[in-house]
Amino acid sequence: MMGGKSGKTRLLCLAGAVAMAALAAASLSVGKYPLSLRELADGNELQWRVFWTLRASRTCVGAVGGFALGAAGFVYQTVFRNPLASPDIIGVSSGASAGAAAGILFLSGVAAVTASSFAGAVLAVAVVLGLSALDKSGSKNTIVLSGIAVHSLAQTGLMCLKLTADPEKQLASIEYWIMGSLNGVTGYSIGGNLLLCALCLAALFPLHRQIILLSGDEGEARMLGVSVGRLRLFVLLAATLTVSSVVSLTGLISFIGLLAPHGARLLTKDNRPGTMLLSGLLGGVLLMAADILARSAAPTELPVSIFTSLLGAPFLIFLIHRQARKNLK
Amino acid sequence: MCFFTVNNLTAGYGGKPILEHLSFRLDRGCLLGILGANGSGKTTLLKAVCGILPHTGSCILEGTALESLPPRLLARRCGYIPQRSGISIDISALDVVLMGFNPRLGLLERPTAAMREEGLKALALVGLEGKEDSNYLSLSEGQKQLCIFARTLCCQGRLLLLDEPESALDFRFRHEMLGLLRDWLSGSPKAAMVTLHDPSLALNYCDRLLLLAEGGILGTLSPGTDSLSHMEKQLEQLYGKVSLARLTGRSGRESLVLLRED
Repeated sequence: MMGGKSGKTRLLCLAGAVAMAALAAASLSVGKYPLSLRELADGNELQWRVFWTLRASRTCVGAVGGFALGAAGFVYQTVFRNPLASPDIIGVSSGASAGAAAGILFLSGVAAVTASSFAGAVLAVAVVLGLSALDKSGSKNTIVLSGIAVHSLAQTGLMCLKLTADPEKQLASIEYWIMGSLNGVTGYSIGGNLLLCALCLAALFPLHRQIILLSGDEGEARMLGVSVGRLRLFVLLAATLTVSSVVSLTGLISFIGLLAPHGARLLTKDNRPGTMLLSGLLGGVLLMAADILARSAAPTELPVSIFTSLLGAPFLIFLIHRQARKNLK
Repeated sequence: MCFFTVNNLTAGYGGKPILEHLSFRLDRGCLLGILGANGSGKTTLLKAVCGILPHTGSCILEGTALESLPPRLLARRCGYIPQRSGISIDISALDVVLMGFNPRLGLLERPTAAMREEGLKALALVGLEGKEDSNYLSLSEGQKQLCIFARTLCCQGRLLLLDEPESALDFRFRHEMLGLLRDWLSGSPKAAMVTLHDPSLALNYCDRLLLLAEGGILGTLSPGTDSLSHMEKQLEQLYGKVSLARLTGRSGRESLVLLRED
């Protein structure tokens, strides 16, 4: 039975990887500027430039970013024992939004906005974790409460920045950033973010067993030999850096961090390392599919979050429905 | 030297002490039962001893102050079974038991095949054979407690702290669980503290009983050696008028029976 179950998870992960590869191929070939294999093979320089700086980087961010949001979502939900936990819970997204808005208002250039939103996200989380460290008993609730406080402060800051923004250009860019898009991604700006993201993911996956231990009560985990405070700080920091490095490139992308882990768990019905991997794969599939639609469904580029929700919500409803029918039998 | 000593322990929540200046000792092999009304500080005592609750005073196990140990080393010496485990995610019973090996594993290591074998044995020992692949959350409350007990056995600590381990168990499993605890104690040098609601169980399985009330020790008794009248007098402080009798079962085993008098 054990072998059967982990065999099923392996099969699901394989299917997810195949779907990601297929979507990556599609993502490389879909876009405003038509690319053809023959001209690429002939060494057409313009075609190669478009391929590398636009398509390949965009595909890369879609795959890695989606994977990262899905896997980090699994970590947040497990550590906070809360099915609704997401990067918002410790203020990542609102910090990133406020940072991006400040970048749009006071700095110039895509790279500066990326850096500023990354700084915003990290600052928000640093404040949350710093505040929660004041509570010596180290309860999770303190982190969640500090997260809510910092979230609303960052929202207020964002509102103030919006008020001072020039409504024609800056306000529109801020709104557009918040809706999220992989449009601005180019080969020149993604290297550092992707590297950080990959490093944090590489740190999180081997810690899976510890992440599961953190899902129990604090005292219980401590009596199983876990240094709860330190480990939780490290895990949350790594998950947060993963998310920050993605959203600072793309703007807010809704729903993936919430949906992918639930989808993975409904499919595997456990929380083993395979499920964490699968939730990353589901995230990657979802973001790439949504991004392909965002740039091909309409003559103009649409925000990617529209499609992550549009694709993700029915999928989640299908899984819930399937689960409910199984429970009845 | 005493196996385990608690010196002048004061502990509580939010700066308000619930236990004040508690001192007692435990010999090796001793099962100490803790009796007391709801809110008398039984759980607080166990949590303070294992350091989950901040406290003053010291708890010394075989010459080492538990307070001085980092979590990994503490968990290798001292196991704790909460009234109710906080596990709330889908996870197999065997994976729950394997958590017990964490103090012996490096941060990134995974349980070995030998540990899996041992985990399966522990599950079989508590009567959950064949349940290893079951979802922990789908087990009954009693089975959950047995599963957590199996996990704690895997920690291989020398001092076990059990918080009402029998509360969700039926008549048969209550006796089996306490029987298991007695078997566990009979090996290498070990001791255990257990809080219980049922004084009959405590009288029949524990070597010594600590009676708690209002944050202090009301009295102690040793069911094996104390006279019935002495024990009655002690227990009456907690339960009102009671009578205690020795009854011999068909197998010849003598048990203490507690009756409440009105």
